[in-house]
Order: sequence, then structure tokens, then C-alpha cells
Amino acid sequence: MAGSGFSRRDVLAGIAAGTAAGIFGSSSSARAAVAEMVWATWDSNGHPEYVAAFEAQTGVKVKLSYLSSEDAQFAALKTGTASDWDMINPSLNGSWRYIKSGLLEQLDMSKIPNAAKMYDVFKTTPKVLDASGKQFAVPYLWGLNPIVYRKDKFESEPDYTTLFNAKYKGQLAMRDYALESIAIAGLVAGVPRDKVFVMETKELAEAKKLLIAQKPLLRTYWQTIGDLTNLFATGEVSCAFSWRVPFDVLKDKLPMGMAKPKAGIMGWCDCFAMPATLSAEKSEIGYKFINYLLGPEYATQVAKIGNYATTSPIIRDTLSKEEQEAIFVDDMDVMKSFMWPVAPENYSEWLKIWNEVKAS
Amino acid sequence: MAPVFHRGQLAIPVTCILMLGCIFPLALLAVFSVFEVDLDAFTLVPAFSGQNWVQMFTNPVFAFLIGKAVVSGAGTAVLAAIIGYPIAVSMTRLPVLWKGVGSIVLLTPLYTGEIVRIYAWRVVLGSEGLINATLKWLGAISEPLKFLLFSPFTTHLVLLYNNLPFMVLAIWISAELIDKRLIEAARDLGARPIDAFFKIILPLTTPGLAVGVFTVFALAAGDMMTPSLLGGTSGATPMAMIDNLFGTAFDWPLASALSLSLLVVLLVFATGFVGVLLRFDGARAVFRRGAR
Repeated sequence: MAGSGFSRRDVLAGIAAGTAAGIFGSSSSARAAVAEMVWATWDSNGHPEYVAAFEAQTGVKVKLSYLSSEDAQFAALKTGTASDWDMINPSLNGSWRYIKSGLLEQLDMSKIPNAAKMYDVFKTTPKVLDASGKQFAVPYLWGLNPIVYRKDKFESEPDYTTLFNAKYKGQLAMRDYALESIAIAGLVAGVPRDKVFVMETKELAEAKKLLIAQKPLLRTYWQTIGDLTNLFATGEVSCAFSWRVPFDVLKDKLPMGMAKPKAGIMGWCDCFAMPATLSAEKSEIGYKFINYLLGPEYATQVAKIGNYATTSPIIRDTLSKEEQEAIFVDDMDVMKSFMWPVAPENYSEWLKIWNEVKAS
Repeated sequence: MAPVFHRGQLAIPVTCILMLGCIFPLALLAVFSVFEVDLDAFTLVPAFSGQNWVQMFTNPVFAFLIGKAVVSGAGTAVLAAIIGYPIAVSMTRLPVLWKGVGSIVLLTPLYTGEIVRIYAWRVVLGSEGLINATLKWLGAISEPLKFLLFSPFTTHLVLLYNNLPFMVLAIWISAELIDKRLIEAARDLGARPIDAFFKIILPLTTPGLAVGVFTVFALAAGDMMTPSLLGGTSGATPMAMIDNLFGTAFDWPLASALSLSLLVVLLVFATGFVGVLLRFDGARAVFRRGAR
């Protein structure tokens, strides 16, 4: 029987696996090729049309599972409640804790040919390596968190000091987030951008003093980007440390501007990674997928629809000047003033300071 | 043969749910609160350290946040009782059909969802919102009244609005249960309406009032969204800090200590308020009747 193809057991196993795949959707069949991969990512990174070309090329369906927060993603992996995720989305700044916790699969970069074409700043980042230099994640999408403002209410382009200027009392907003807000105060206090996330006690005290003085000038602290967009749209706020979303949403209705402060630009960058527990068969598809994320199809879609840039210049020269400007790749000097917000080890201290500011 | 259950046995499912959903997580929090975090391995280490509890008692920011929650909860509960009481008592005098309509009107806002309500309040109270625009149109103001939105006033107005139905419902049910013959007898014996109210209605509705106070206090003191999204720079809450500590900071031990401290303080105050209310004779009379 062994030489004649299928045994009865094989057939039964096949039927069972097929039934299971039908019932549970996300589970892969036991013997057949991988039919589906679950990608846990942000909704802005994973529109169905962004991955359609990959699905057509490989015949593997990418099921999108949208994240609510990075903390929730980490907690889900740490506690084992995310067993159906095949590909995940740690941030560049937060990758270290996934790596330290042993949650990620080590990557064989030779299986990702497009990785060689990445911008140097992303290709050489040590944030995705463990202490011995092994790589566990690949940066694929990045952007800036600018100051968004109303052009009709400011004569010149604002910078971080504008957010502390009494002249604009009642029109300003800061994010209700200890990490970025304290870092901005650190920059205003004169701490260099490569030191703000490792500030010493004295510098933290300076930053705290500035934030307490700033508090009466603020209309509010914003919670979510939808919240801030609403604040701009309703005229409550005219200048805020922001993400680019309010600019994109409101630019056709209001005179909106985006400023990239010279003191340092907060960058964000999302990485691709696979859970350490992933099967070898699925890993192979995972490699194909990250290669796709670094390739031209995904880059074109995400630049034109989402206004985001991938970590590779692969399509940069095919974009118009306006399209390049929209995703911040018109002037590559921007990469020299990047700051990557990293939660310091004493982040509980930062949180206490932030709450002291808010309680003052 | 039908199985015969003892009354006590019927409580077993509820006891199990309580053990699983309440006692067990609380015990876990107590255990975590004496742990330490190993940030190198990203794990919790059973260190049996009192460090987090020392911080709870020595760093004033924790006392401030918990105190703020208590004041917020108590203020809202008192205001809801003052405003809700007359509404609840008047509802008892409505014809049955109107009672139904009244309770629907009372509860409808709760069906809209918190986020929708929060953004609706922004539309009403904002600088370019309904109230400011109307006042400007009437010529009463030239600049918008900024305190209407993103201030402690906003937080408490909305907390009161959100929680008022819980107060009214509790008092209303209590007031409906009053034997109307008692009031008639009092009036026949020459009591003025105000005397009948203070000697019969108020004492006999204290259990409802106590339930309302307990509920509104807990809901208002524990709210995070309303202060965060409508309170402006005054919107700090212990809940938001717990959220941050459990999340980005990965400081579960400190978060556990803060959660337990908040819980204990809120329980002490809530029990205190309710204890005082239930000491009134009326409340005792209602409970004795119920027990019989």
C-alpha cells in the first residue's frame, strides 16, 4: 500500500484537515501547502489591496488581523493568546523586548533578496539584532511624527519651542504620552537628540519644570489621532505635536501645515517578524512576504494610497516630486535628524514624572 | 424524581464565578505587587519586595491621583442624589404608561455608547460649539467661553449626566415600594406634605439612595475616558496611570500595588457612605420587612 499513493489514514487525515480548515478558517491544512497566513499589523499598513499582488503571485491568502496597540501585541505574544498569528509587526523601537523575551524567530537574511536594497539607516540598525548580532526583525515601513499646524494662525513654521510659547496659549496640544512629551521638553531644554531618551535625573527635572509651565498653555492633551484630528477640525487646537493623519484628513478643508523641527524629528518604523513558534513551512511563506513588503508593488500602493514610505528606495525615482514630498523622501537629509523614541529602562520613573506634571 | 436543592447550594455557581472573576485576579494582583521586574529577561521575578508599597505611601503622586478619584466620585454621587431624587420621586406619581416612557427616556443616552456621547459633548460645549455659537449670536459674549470644554467643570458635568440614570433608577424602585397607605395615614393624622416626606418617604427610600450612591461613586471614580477626553489638562486619573504601567512600562508590580490601593480606598469610602445611609431607621425598617 505504501507505494500506491494514499493510505486510508492519509485520506482520512486529508478530509479531517480540510474540514478543520473549512471550519476554523485560519488553520492550515496538515499536509497541503500553506493556504493562508495571518498578518497581525496596523490597519494603515495592511489594506487588502496592498497585499492583493502577493496573494496573486503565491496563491497564499493574507488574512489581516489589526492591532489595537503595540503593548497589546506584545502581551498577546508573551501570554500565548496570539497562537494564530503567523507574521507580526513590532516597532523598530520596541523590537528589543520581543527579542529579549525570545518571542521571535531568527531570520536568515539570505532568503530576503530585497533587503539588500534598503536605505542604510534601516539596513544597518542594531535595534533588530540580539546581543550576539543575530537578526530577528526587518524594518519595512517608516514615517515621521511632525508638528501639524494651521498655516493661517502662524506666521512662520513652528518648532518645538512654539509648543511652550505663551503667545499661543489655548491653541496648543501635546500627546498624552510620557515618552514623546518628556523627550520634546528635553529637546527644548537643550538636551541633544541622541541623549533625550537616556536623560539623567537633573535633565529630567528640567524637562518636568518646562512641562509644568507648559500645562496652562495647552488646550488639552490628545489621546488618539482621531481625537486630535477632531480637535483640529473643530478649531479647538491650531498647533500640536502630532502624527501626519490630521494633515492628510483636513488639508483640503483647512490651511494645514506640517513642520519637521530641526532639533530632531521623531521617527516611527514598523518591522516584520515571525513568532518563534512558527512552522518551517509557514516561515518560507513569511520570507516571501517580507521580500514582497520590501519590493515595488507594496511600496507603490502604500505610497500612493497611504502616504507612507517603505524602508527601500526601490520606487523613489518613479514618484513625482509631490509624491516624494508627501512621504518625506524628497530630501534624504531628513534621515540625519531622526530620533527613535525608545522607552528607557526607567520608564516607570518617566511615567511618574508625567503624572506629576498632569497632577500639578 | 425532582432533585431538591438547598437554598445555599443555589449560590454555588455565583460563588464559583466570583472566585474566578474577582477573588482570584485580586489575589494575583496582591502577589504581583511584591514581585520585581527583570527588564533584561522581561519577566516578573518573585522577589517578595515591599518596594512598590513603599512607593505607594511615599510618592505623593499616587495619593493625589487616588484622592482625586475619590473626590470626583463622591462629588458626582452627591450631585446625582440631589438632582436625581426629585426626578425619581416624581416618577412614582406618573401613570403606568408614562412610567415606561420615563424610564426609556432616562436610559436612552446609555445606549449611544461612551465615545459617541463624548464627541457629542464636544460639539455642544466646544469653542465653536452649540452653546458658544448661540451665546455669540445673541451678543452675550464676544470670545468663546473656553471653560465649557476641557476643564474639571466638563468632566463633572458629563460624569453627572452619564451616571444620573443609575441614581434615579435605584431611588425610583425604592420609592415605588413604599406602601402608599403610610403616607395617607400620616396626612390623615395631620402631617404636612413636607413632614410626610421627611418622616416617611425619605427614610424608606434610603436603601435605594444607598445603592445609587454606591453605584454612581464607583462608576464616576473609576471612569477614565471622560476625564481623559473631556477634562483637558486636568484629566489625569489613576486608571490611566495603571494602564500605562501595565502597558508600555511593563511595571506590573507597581501597577498591581496601585490597583489594589485604589480598590481598597474606593471600597472604604463607598462602604462608609452606604454604612452611614443605612444606619437611618427607615433603612432598617425596609430591611426588616424584606427579611420577614
